[in-house]
Amino acid sequence: MRLTLALLAAAAVSMTHSFAAGPTRDQQILNDRNSIEAAGAWIYDDLEKGFAEAKQTGKPLLVVLRCVP
Amino acid sequence: MLKDLLDQFICVRLVKANGLDLRLFQFDYDLTFAAFFLNGDGAIYGRYGSRSEQKNAAKDISLEGLRKALAAALTLHRDYPKNAAALAGKRGPAPKYAVPEQMPPLTSRHYTAQLDYNGKLAASCIHCHMVGDAERKMFRDAAKPIPDDLLFSYPMPSLVGLELDPKEIARVTRVLPGSPAARAGFQSGDEIATVQGQPIISIADIQWVLQHAGDSDQLKTGVVRNGQPKELTLSLGSGWRRGNDFAWRTTTWDLRRMAFGGLVLEDLPDENRADAGLTKDALALRVKYVGQYGDHAAGKRAGFQKDDILVSVDGKNDRMSEALAIAYLVQNKKPGDRVPIQVLRGKERLTLDLPLQ
Repeated sequence: MRLTLALLAAAAVSMTHSFAAGPTRDQQILNDRNSIEAAGAWIYDDLEKGFAEAKQTGKPLLVVLRCVP
Repeated sequence: MLKDLLDQFICVRLVKANGLDLRLFQFDYDLTFAAFFLNGDGAIYGRYGSRSEQKNAAKDISLEGLRKALAAALTLHRDYPKNAAALAGKRGPAPKYAVPEQMPPLTSRHYTAQLDYNGKLAASCIHCHMVGDAERKMFRDAAKPIPDDLLFSYPMPSLVGLELDPKEIARVTRVLPGSPAARAGFQSGDEIATVQGQPIISIADIQWVLQHAGDSDQLKTGVVRNGQPKELTLSLGSGWRRGNDFAWRTTTWDLRRMAFGGLVLEDLPDENRADAGLTKDALALRVKYVGQYGDHAAGKRAGFQKDDILVSVDGKNDRMSEALAIAYLVQNKKPGDRVPIQVLRGKERLTLDLPLQ
């Protein structure tokens, strides 16, 4: 009985830790998009828009390929 | 540090390879950071981003180097289109598939050009390294040898004897004795301005030219030495590329599956060979890790164990790196072939039979 309670307690702690763990990978990607778009300096994941603005403004294009770490 | 220059660009951040135009965006797909400088009409001014090891991924890049590349790209932009002919070589040959999701090894996973923001977001993403993986797998699935330029890809300038400062565009800090660069007459302090007529604005630009160099080639290089221009010719002999160790690359994981059933190998250092009764010239690849699951456990199922030392692979027993051993198998053996491998396990010698994938 005591062993069973100890195992249940350990399982409860483990589950609590899981729920309190950091953002999921999907959420990290969403957070990344939100923060980049909020800052406003970069076009996020839209190459067509980038080329259009480069042609319109006459500026060169910088394309950075960098996934969410 | 970069804002004043970045404000002069239209800046785009890409986070996926889905829908990536492979006719334009050809680069070292194992990088976790890569940049292109372009005109709005698609002319490439240059590339930025280099990597030569797993642990210290940022060793070959710097904010200072990126700043100088940005400034140099702006100069090329101001001179465009007068310099269009010189820039033409920065675009690669047309690939067989225009976008990654059309590549046969990736079609079965139903990727689209966009991420699935309303569903399984991370799972919908094609990582850049998957493009390189797919390129190699297409050869393997067709039972064709994987070519050297896909195995020993994007050589660092150090392979030809040039150590460059990552804080500069392409400044030589050291010329390795006896190297092609030494024979060409490079000196420490040289600033590499052009290679094969292409203006150089980063180490990545030199890697681009090396990636497209032939098995035996002569590369005309323009340097500035003490403020004066000078032309040097870098002569690359047959097989020059095969000194490029690709063991650090993410994509070597799948090559290890194909060639060694998921084993991770390392060349036994000289100081450990005497204890094992092995000479410096002998093949001695120690098993660092044995894959445990699925196709990556083929080596385990064949009987290989951690710390085994491979002393003969398909009858070959001259010293070679893991990369060269992998290259030998994926260029000379087909999936389904079986190769005899002799291992040293303690004092015992065993021959194991490894199926290739």
